[in-house]
Amino acid sequence: MTITATPPAKIKNLPSPVTGQEIVLIGVIAVLWAALAVSTPAFLTAGSLQPLLVATAPVALVGVGMTIVIITGGIDVSVGAAIMVCSVITAKTLVGSDVNLAVAVLISVLAGGALGLINGFLIAYGRVHAIIITFGTANLFMFLGLQIFGSGTVNGIPGTLGFFGRGEAGRTLGIPHAFLITALITAAVWWYLRHTAGGRHFFAIGGDAQAARLAGVRVQRRVLLAYLTTGVLVGLASCFVIAQGTSTLDQSVGSGKELAVIAAVVIGGTSIMGGRGSVLGTFLGALLVQTVASGVTQLGWRSQLSDLFVGIFIIVAVGADLLRARARRSR
Amino acid sequence: MAAETQIPRLRLTAVSKRFGAVRAIQHADLTVRAGQVHALVGENGAGKSTMIKIVAGAETADTGEIEWDGSPVRIGSTTDAIALGIATVYQEPQLFPELTVAENIFLGKELKKQGRVDWATQNTRVVELLELLGLPAGYATATVGDLSIAEQQQVSIAKALSGDAKVLILDEPSAILTDAEIEVLFDVVRRLTASGVSVIYISHRLDELFRIADEVTVMRDGRTIGTYPIGELSVRQIAHLMVGEELSDARPHREVPAGPAMLELRGLTRTGKFADVDVTVHQGEIVALYGLVGSGVSEIAACCYGIERATGGTLAIAGKPENPRNPEHAQRLGVALLPANRKVEGMFGFQSLAFNISAGHLRLLSKLGVFVDRAREKAVALDLIKRLAVRTPHERQPISAMSGGNAQKVVLARQLVERPKVLILAEPTQGVDVGAKEEIHRLITELAEEGTAVLVVTSDLPEALRIADRIQVVRGGTTTEEFGPDAKQVDLLAAAAGGSE
Repeated sequence: MTITATPPAKIKNLPSPVTGQEIVLIGVIAVLWAALAVSTPAFLTAGSLQPLLVATAPVALVGVGMTIVIITGGIDVSVGAAIMVCSVITAKTLVGSDVNLAVAVLISVLAGGALGLINGFLIAYGRVHAIIITFGTANLFMFLGLQIFGSGTVNGIPGTLGFFGRGEAGRTLGIPHAFLITALITAAVWWYLRHTAGGRHFFAIGGDAQAARLAGVRVQRRVLLAYLTTGVLVGLASCFVIAQGTSTLDQSVGSGKELAVIAAVVIGGTSIMGGRGSVLGTFLGALLVQTVASGVTQLGWRSQLSDLFVGIFIIVAVGADLLRARARRSR
Repeated sequence: MAAETQIPRLRLTAVSKRFGAVRAIQHADLTVRAGQVHALVGENGAGKSTMIKIVAGAETADTGEIEWDGSPVRIGSTTDAIALGIATVYQEPQLFPELTVAENIFLGKELKKQGRVDWATQNTRVVELLELLGLPAGYATATVGDLSIAEQQQVSIAKALSGDAKVLILDEPSAILTDAEIEVLFDVVRRLTASGVSVIYISHRLDELFRIADEVTVMRDGRTIGTYPIGELSVRQIAHLMVGEELSDARPHREVPAGPAMLELRGLTRTGKFADVDVTVHQGEIVALYGLVGSGVSEIAACCYGIERATGGTLAIAGKPENPRNPEHAQRLGVALLPANRKVEGMFGFQSLAFNISAGHLRLLSKLGVFVDRAREKAVALDLIKRLAVRTPHERQPISAMSGGNAQKVVLARQLVERPKVLILAEPTQGVDVGAKEEIHRLITELAEEGTAVLVVTSDLPEALRIADRIQVVRGGTTTEEFGPDAKQVDLLAAAAGGSE
C-alpha cells in the first residue's frame, strides 16, 4: 500500500448542531408569535412577554434534567411531587428564619438532589423500570410534602426569592432572571451532552445499555447522575415557583408539573424510546407550550383549548418519531 | 511448505471447556497464521461458538494452551484478548443507531482534549479505517441508524479494527447479507489479510469458504476433527467431516397415509426473501423444510401463516387457493403456527398455563361468545396437560416458571385446541432437553396420525431426518432438492450448504 499525504479533511466533525425538529419548532413558535402579535396587539409588549418567559422557566429547567433521563431510556414521573417537597421545605425555611437568597437556593437544591439520589439509586441499582420506581417515589414524595405542609398553606413568605420573580427585582435589562438562568443552564448542558465523552455515553445507554456496558461505559453511575441532575434542577425550579407565586404556598404546588415537563421534552424531539434527544428541543418545547397557554388566555378562549393544542403537538411529535423509526427499520 | 516453518500468529492446543456436566469442547486445536483466512465450521452445537469465545476472552478454557506468535499467553478476559490484538465481530451488529460512525467506533475509549471529545483526531483515524474498508470518508459523521445492515456490519468491523487488531473473528458475517453485500465483505476480508491481519471466519455456507478461506478447521461434538488447506476438500467432503459417521438412528418406520394435499405452495415468491417455492404437504404427512439461517425458510413459514404476504405464486389450503392476510385469517383457514422464538412470540409469561392454552381460542371456549367459560377452559387445559405429559403442579402455574421443554409443550397445546388442518412448526425443539425433544417428536407424529398436515421448519438436521416423511431442502431462497426419510445427513447438508457437485 502506498502512503499518501492525508488530504485536507473536508468532512464536518459532527452532524448539524440543530436537528430538523428544532428548526420546525422555531418556525412554529415564530408563526404563533406573529399570529398573536397581529390578533392581540398587546402580545408583543414587555408586559405580556415577560410573564410568558418567567412561566416557561421552571418547566424548561426541569425539562433539561428530564431530557437526560429520557435519553438514557428512563423517565421520571416524580418531578411534580418533588417540586412540592422542595418548595414547601424552602418556603417554611424562609418563613421561619431569616436566610438570604443563596442559602434558600442551596436548601432547595440539596432537598431536590436528595430526592433525585433516591430515584437514581433505586433505578440504577434496583434494575426495576424507571416508570415503576418513580411512580412509587412520586407517592412517597407527595406524602412527605403533605406532612411538612401540616395544616393547609404556608403563609407570609418573604420576598427573599424576588430575584427569580415576576417583579422589577426579577429582571435585568428587561429579561427575567429565571429565564436567563434557565437558558444558560440549557446551553451548558447542551454543550456537555454534545462535546464530552460522559455526555455521549447517555445516548449510548439509551441506544443499548448492555452494549454500552461492554464498551466500557459506567452505565449505573451515568443513570444515577441523570436522576441526580434532574433532582438538583427540580430544587432550583422550586425556587422559581415560589418566587412567581404570592406570599402564600398551597398544597397544589407542583401538581401535574411532571406531565407539562414530559410534554415539553417529547415535543422537543427527544425519543421516548431513549438514545436520541436534545435539551435545546426541550427548551423550545417548553416555550411552545407556554406560548399556546398564554395565547389562549390573551385571545379570551376557553383554557381547555390549550390542553387540546398541547395534546395535538405531543401526538404529532411522537408520531414523527415513530415514522422515523419505522422508515429506518424498513431499510 | 513455507507456511509450516513460519511461527503461527495464534495457536490453541488441547483446549477443553465444561459447562456444568456438559463438555462444550474437549481437546480442540486451532492454528491461525498471519495474513490468512481460517474458516471454522461445524454443525450447531459442535463447539464453534465456545471456541471463539475462548479466543475472544469471553470464556476461559479449563485446560489447554494458547500461544501468540510462539510464546504462551493467558486470555482471561475480553480485555486480555483486545490487548493482544484479537477483535470479534458478532453476528448482530452491536452498535448505537443514534450515534455517528466515529462515535460508535470510539465509544468508551474516546480521545479527549481539555475534557472534551477530540472529534477532529477521532475523525481522521476513522477516515483511515473507512478507507481500508472501502467506505466513503463522509460516513465518519453519518448516523449509524441511517446505514444499511451491510454497512453497519462494516462499521462493526471498523470498530473491531480500531484497536489495531491482528486477529479478527467474524461470526457468521454472511448470514444477514445479500449476495452483492457478501462480495463487499469478501473484498474487505481480502484487503485485511493483504495487510497482515488474520481472519477467523465462521460460516454455515460451505460454498463461500472456497472463495475466501485459506484453511478450514472442522469441528464435531466438541472436538476439532482436523485442519485442511481448503483446496484439498470439496463441499461434500467438508459436510462429511461435519456430520461424521452415519448414525444408525433407530427411527420407527411410519406408514404415511395417502391423503389429499392440505398445504400446497406453487411458485410462491416474496420479493427479496424467497422465490419459486414448491412444497406440498398431504393430510397426515410430516414434511420438513430444511435450510440454513438466511436461506428463506422462516419467511416461507411466515407467509403460510399470514405474518408476511407472498408477492407471487399460489398458496392452497385444503385444495382452495388462499392468501392468508394475517394470523387470525390463517387460523380461520385452518392453519396453526408454533413460533420459533417462543419467548417473544409464543407465550404470555406471567399468565397461567390455562390462559396460555386458551389464548386465541376464547371464542370457542366462551358462553354465547362473550363470557369465558372458566370451567371449560380448565377442563380443556387439564385434558391437554395429560395428553402432552406436561409436568406441572396445576393448570394455574405461570408458564414462565416452567422449563423450556414444558413451556414448548404448552405452546404446542394451544395449537391443538382447534385441531388445525395444517400445523407449521418452526424450530420446535430449539433449546429443549433431550427427553422433552422425544416427547415433542412423539406428539408431532401423533398429530399427523390424527390427520393434521405438518410442516416442520428446522435447521436441526437429525431432527428433520427423525420425524419427517419427506425433506425439502431450501437454499438461496428457493426449494432445491427433495429427500426421503432414508437420506444421509451428508447429502442434505451438502444440498443446503451449496455445491452438491
